[in-house]
Amino acid sequence: MSSTPPATPAATPASTPTAAGGSPAMQSRHLSVWFGKRKVLEDVNISFPANTCTALIGPSGCGKSTYIRTLNRLHELIPGAGLAGDVLHNGRDIYARDVDPVTVRLAIGMVFQKPNPFPSMTIRGNVLSGLKLSGMKRPNHDEIVEDTLRKAGLWNEVKDRLSHAAGELSGGQAQRLVIARALAVQPQVLLMDEPCSALDPASTLKIEETIRELAESITIIIVTHNMQQATRVSDYTAFFLAAENEPGIVVEQGATTEIFSNPQDPRTLDYVNGRFG
Amino acid sequence: MTAHAETILPPRPPAPQQSAGRPWARRGPGFRLAVLLGTILPPVPVIAALLYTDWPPVTIFVAIYLPLQLIAACAAAISQRGTRAAGDAVIIVLAIGATLLAVIVLGSILSTIAIRGYQAMSVAFLTQNTLYISPSTPLGYGGVGAAVLGTFIIVALATVITVPIGIATAVYVTEVRGRAVPYVRFFVQAMSGVPSVVAGLFILVVLILSGALAYSALAGALAYSILMLPTVARTAEEVLKLVPEELRTGALALGSTRARVVGQVVLPAARTGIVTATILGIARVVGETAPLLLTSLSNDRTIINPVGNPIASLPVFIFDKVSLPFPDAVARAWGAALVLMVIVAILFTAARLLSARRFAKS
Ligand SMILES: Nc1ncnc2c1ncn2[C@@H]1O[C@H](COP(=O)(O)OP(=O)(O)OP(=O)(O)O)[C@@H](O)[C@H]1O
Ligand SMILES: [Mg+2]
Repeated sequence: MSSTPPATPAATPASTPTAAGGSPAMQSRHLSVWFGKRKVLEDVNISFPANTCTALIGPSGCGKSTYIRTLNRLHELIPGAGLAGDVLHNGRDIYARDVDPVTVRLAIGMVFQKPNPFPSMTIRGNVLSGLKLSGMKRPNHDEIVEDTLRKAGLWNEVKDRLSHAAGELSGGQAQRLVIARALAVQPQVLLMDEPCSALDPASTLKIEETIRELAESITIIIVTHNMQQATRVSDYTAFFLAAENEPGIVVEQGATTEIFSNPQDPRTLDYVNGRFG
Repeated sequence: MTAHAETILPPRPPAPQQSAGRPWARRGPGFRLAVLLGTILPPVPVIAALLYTDWPPVTIFVAIYLPLQLIAACAAAISQRGTRAAGDAVIIVLAIGATLLAVIVLGSILSTIAIRGYQAMSVAFLTQNTLYISPSTPLGYGGVGAAVLGTFIIVALATVITVPIGIATAVYVTEVRGRAVPYVRFFVQAMSGVPSVVAGLFILVVLILSGALAYSALAGALAYSILMLPTVARTAEEVLKLVPEELRTGALALGSTRARVVGQVVLPAARTGIVTATILGIARVVGETAPLLLTSLSNDRTIINPVGNPIASLPVFIFDKVSLPFPDAVARAWGAALVLMVIVAILFTAARLLSARRFAKS
């Protein structure tokens, strides 16, 4: 599947999410990404309307994590990383020369696939760590701790041991803790890279509820391998695909209902019906 | 999780009274017997050899005990679990045997120092200086008090100088990852090859003979620092590398600056390891004699001022006294060695306890 032959109908321009109205909170334009000499993403154009949830789907290794990490400037931390094109946040290029990556990352939070609580801090300390690390001032720490832990579905399990080490939580609990941690700094955009892959069904549901709730007020971009999850939580979906030894591209994007019920590209149809990937 | 309706379950029958056990440790009586014979039989000829020959214990251990124990363990293992268990038995015996051997060697060194050093022990020995002492003065007068204080001052100064520089070097290599990393690494590695006498000579020529510094605790501490820095820097580098990369990215994703990532996430996560790096650095230098012979010399008085005058220290005390042709002076040297050993033990224990005390209030 080379990207050159125009045999497949190009679905990109017709169904961009922006068509649905609302100015994009985030947008990538002609974004290509490299690791060293190897190009792993090519010409990715996606708009993320404000206060919506967008799911990024696609087979393993097609560049979803790489893409999401370019949206808050974590990609550049990898030695040999390269990038071309623009990423806009509220219309401003986050890679512009006068933009401080620290402020970008403060406004655009991230939850990783692997839970990464800070082992040297307590549970409470972890929730508040973003405030401490970014120097952000917010009053009522007790309230923040309870509120964010409730949103992450962890409050009942840890309310009596907030001062215990974060290292004693189970993998799924640790993941919900880092979700609470990401919420405590009140990001405008929240990137989530397979946030539920370590969670049980009940916690997953709780997190999905939280995502729905959050999407009322912030913009969420979530990578998921779970098609049901994508349909449950997202308003828009972008389908990534990489042919062998080719960079990943966005094959199709649009409203989630469209992508799952009436995809334009046969590859999308095959993927969402579980026929490959 | 509170949203869905309560499921009605039939009432549970009362659970039987249980206490915690270790079912995996259950063994048959034959196992006990085999273990008993395997552990009791081999030491018997060892005790006989110890009593009726004058071979050194290490020879007896290696030539008699280890082979016997290997045979006994293999026999016991095969009788209980078949031939495949023999390999396990060999590995276990060799591992325990090697540990025991190390413990025997270490134990004989420690016990020699303890026994010989004990003769010199007294309150006076621990607290006094050597001001009114001649080499032939009998035990009971004069001691290592001033030397202990001197060693403390020199090592403390060296630690205060070295640990920040060592951590900064490690942070540069693992966190800043600047362009000079290969050169810094090479330099630190080269430094670890500097002989201790050269470190002393360097301070002597560059700082003391040039008039910048007197023979003093500070000069000694600087010489010690040259020896300590590579150990601290390299160990700190290793422990910082063990901090998972996800913690750094996680902190950065929260809008943290690089400095805060290092100060509030990476270094705290590596705290135990950094204490270990400091301990290893201190252990590297605390007994070094040559640098002090050239820089801090010795002093019969009790000195507190770290600059301006020579100062006594334990290694130099031992060096001075052990070469004197008077039994009481040699006994003082052994006593000083014992004190040095005890100080190191206390330091290590304290550092371990401190680093084990985990979470401060957030
Ligand atoms: N640090 C790196 N250095 C070099 N290549 C990398 C690096 N990280 C990822 N890649 C490559 O980039 C491509 C995209 O990887 P990425 O992690 O973005 O995939 P993904 O879509 O997130 O996959 P998954 O669904 O399995 O998480 C892969 O081919 C991968 O081998
Ligand atoms: Mg991924």
